[in-house]
Amino acid sequence: MAEINDMTRVMRLLQFTDSQFPVGTFSFSNGLETASFEGIVKDAKSLKEFARSQSHQAAYSDGVACLHAYRAFMNGDLKRCMEIDSYLFRFKMNDEARLMAVRMGKKLAELGVKLYSNNFVKELLDSINKGETPGMYPVVQGIMFALAGVSEKDLFCSHQYGVINMVLGAALRCVKVSHYDTQQILEDLSEYIERLYNEASVMELSDMNAFYPQLDILASLHEKGNMRMFMN
Amino acid sequence: MLNQKKEKLPTPEVSFDTAREMSRYLKEPEAMYVGAPGKHGYLRMGFELDPRGKSILRDLERRAPLIVQQELYFDEEMPEMPCVYILSSGGPNIDGDRYRQDITVKKDAYAWVSTGAATKLAQMKYNYSGLIQNIVLEENAYLEFMPEPVIPCRNTRFISDTRLSVHETATMFYSEIFMGGRKYYKEGELFEYDILSVCSHGERPDGRELFREKFVIDPRVEHPRNLGVMSHFDIFANVIVMTPPDKASEIYDKTQVFIDNDKKLAAGITRLPNNAGLLYKVLGMEPGPVKKMVREFSSLVRQTVKGKKVPEEFPWR
Repeated sequence: MAEINDMTRVMRLLQFTDSQFPVGTFSFSNGLETASFEGIVKDAKSLKEFARSQSHQAAYSDGVACLHAYRAFMNGDLKRCMEIDSYLFRFKMNDEARLMAVRMGKKLAELGVKLYSNNFVKELLDSINKGETPGMYPVVQGIMFALAGVSEKDLFCSHQYGVINMVLGAALRCVKVSHYDTQQILEDLSEYIERLYNEASVMELSDMNAFYPQLDILASLHEKGNMRMFMN
Repeated sequence: MLNQKKEKLPTPEVSFDTAREMSRYLKEPEAMYVGAPGKHGYLRMGFELDPRGKSILRDLERRAPLIVQQELYFDEEMPEMPCVYILSSGGPNIDGDRYRQDITVKKDAYAWVSTGAATKLAQMKYNYSGLIQNIVLEENAYLEFMPEPVIPCRNTRFISDTRLSVHETATMFYSEIFMGGRKYYKEGELFEYDILSVCSHGERPDGRELFREKFVIDPRVEHPRNLGVMSHFDIFANVIVMTPPDKASEIYDKTQVFIDNDKKLAAGITRLPNNAGLLYKVLGMEPGPVKKMVREFSSLVRQTVKGKKVPEEFPWR
């Protein structure tokens, strides 16, 4: 990968993190739709708590996996990337969340092939299409950021921003909150990110963990229910 | 019925000292050392069909403080099912305790395993209590593993690793219930434990891993009262059902998911990765209603797989 200058790097970070980046983040609510319907998230305060839990849950699972994938790409190790991919798939307990991760992962890999015409990503997409690896979004995301020359910390920030912004974007459509509220929540939650990175960046895959049973039950209600403004 | 002639094997090593989350809890206790006799329980149980086709506890090895006496046949809806209570002579799990439980259910055999009472996890000051479980189900085997709840105390540190090796044709019902603590002790002792780290992973007999669930509850890092974690609920039940996909779909379709604010109960279900089966979760306030939910769910599983329901719980349980 050729060296890139700082400004190009920032442009790529913004591009990959933008909600218009065509991987489908806008279609998902991470269970917020059900949480809103059940009255669990009903205002800015509860929305902030919900988004914080989503952010922390992601940090110690998807966040760890995307950092490992980033490092595996830097070592040119496709086999390792596929091991991480498979590990994350086995770790992702919620059926709809798995579906979301593989759909977005495949879209991102397709986009990566178009943008960079890179053999590593081509081989990855090929393996996804052949069913040899699931193509989980955080893993493909780690690979793409490494390929684009964006830093590991920026990757983690983008990953966290994606999780939080997905919830906040959905909230504007299903919770009584304003744009000011959601921006304040984003601002507040940003303070946690460095601590989360410091912890996630030294975790092995076997350290990945998640204990959010209320979120799991909300996801299940959505999975079995008929609310379909969002895919989950 | 028991294989008394079998030689005692060396007690298997049980250590989680390299687990990242336990790194703060590795001091040697000042009382009995880690894994001292009586603090290193081992249990090995093997169920199989006898020549007449009766499912029996053929293989049994146990080491204090774990006790299993013999199988009983008290299930009125399935009187052919061997039922076993695991007991502990040592009272609660204490600082530096290590346990290992290996259970095998051979081809076509079936069994029900529980504990005699809730597993109390005592206050710990130096070290932790660890448990390794290996549960192996061969072709068409069936196991209901539904122990009484786990009750952590103030400063409890507990870690477990459970390997479920299940044949494609077999069915494993594996449940765990975690209380928030001794709710009615003194002023109440909810979520005052140091850490609970629980990992359960399912695989096929060839070793191919299908799923891996790990949760680490450290109230200082992420308090269970937080929205999305347990919120206002006090008790959490986790049930893994490994069963063939057609059975899993039938169970999934028949399972009610809900959040009931009046009954203060919530339940959810999802499909495990790689067609391994189902994951069912319950949140509640008191052990009775949560145990009832788990039992009713086990009845649905039994009816789907064995065509028989689970009887009413004994009134003293």
